[in-house]
Amino acid sequence: MNRANPLMTLIALLAGLGLGLAYSWGISPVSYTDSTPNILRADFKDQYRTIIAAAFASNGDIERARARLSLLGDNDSFQALSAQAQQMLAVGRPYEDVEQIVQLASALQGQKIFASPTSPSSYSAQFTALPTLTPLVNAALVDLTTIPQSTPLVITTTTSRPTQTLSPTPGLPLILISQEEICNSELNSGLMQITILDERRRQSPGIELTITWDGGEEHFFTGLKPELGNGYADYQMTEGVTYSLKPENGNPIPNIIAPACPAPNGSFLGGIKFIFQKP
Amino acid sequence: MLSTPIKYLIALVIGISLGLLYGWAIDPVEFIDTTPETLRADYRADYVLMTAEIYNSDGNLSLAAQRLAVLGSQPPAEIAAQGYQSALEFKFSDADIALIQRLMSSLQAGGN
Repeated sequence: MNRANPLMTLIALLAGLGLGLAYSWGISPVSYTDSTPNILRADFKDQYRTIIAAAFASNGDIERARARLSLLGDNDSFQALSAQAQQMLAVGRPYEDVEQIVQLASALQGQKIFASPTSPSSYSAQFTALPTLTPLVNAALVDLTTIPQSTPLVITTTTSRPTQTLSPTPGLPLILISQEEICNSELNSGLMQITILDERRRQSPGIELTITWDGGEEHFFTGLKPELGNGYADYQMTEGVTYSLKPENGNPIPNIIAPACPAPNGSFLGGIKFIFQKP
Repeated sequence: MLSTPIKYLIALVIGISLGLLYGWAIDPVEFIDTTPETLRADYRADYVLMTAEIYNSDGNLSLAAQRLAVLGSQPPAEIAAQGYQSALEFKFSDADIALIQRLMSSLQAGGN
């Protein structure tokens, strides 16, 4: 008999296919030696952003930093940097380590971010065949309304914010644009809530706040509760204690006392909400 | 006429070939979560350049060596030298090449 059994032939073919796949997927897969930054593992992407921020702190070249960030494929480089800064602060990394990332985020935020990571520049021309990357953000500036607000806050009356004369001048002290007592029994009693906005009214993470009282002082940062907003921070006040609040690069707000709020069966300790904005 | 075992062998070889074709070309293993070691030469060179820019500012050679170490197990001076070669190849600006060269020289002089 010299006639092949079709079933056996099919089995041989499938066995060969299986062997081929096992070899090409398992034993000797396509070796990846020319990868791009956008497929780096998350922790390496963080490391990459850190070094981009450090390089930006060294050379001050925002276009170069932006081109480098675009290689990581983040949908929004500002948000990615902010989130990373918050994570670093949350795990107790010293602010000095985070500062460069915050500075780069601020620098990005301070400019219009257009979706042109592969725009012709002498820098991006260095890269051959750049991968197609998701644009950073839409050409339009991100509006404050798109930023998550501190939704748990129950504010019955909104203090209208004074019209700000926008100025790109950095380094001016933060301006207190709103201060109001919050009488909401659903919130923690004596909660001091602080929101820091930049000159475009976007929430600013990583801003240091200093609370002082008679015999004590505490430092904390905005952005440690990103679910409540990147520029949000809060502090638990004690009844009867007078505090002073000083935001980084801002004037101190003295004589802060948790208010007593009326309640049907007496009163409860209310909170205070502050909103600061960069001029 | 081919003998039956030969026919089965041919079927097996065809199967293997199809498997390799599919596994290597049509649907190769997709790599995500890669490490900086696998970066393409021009990206590696840019990483070296970033390190050089920082070194030019802070002068911290030890930290620069640590930063370069993520690009591979070779000595940092060798990584910097590879970055320098790539920078030349990809026609980085003279200023950038000078920065990398400075870092490379410092690492070589420092024995890293």
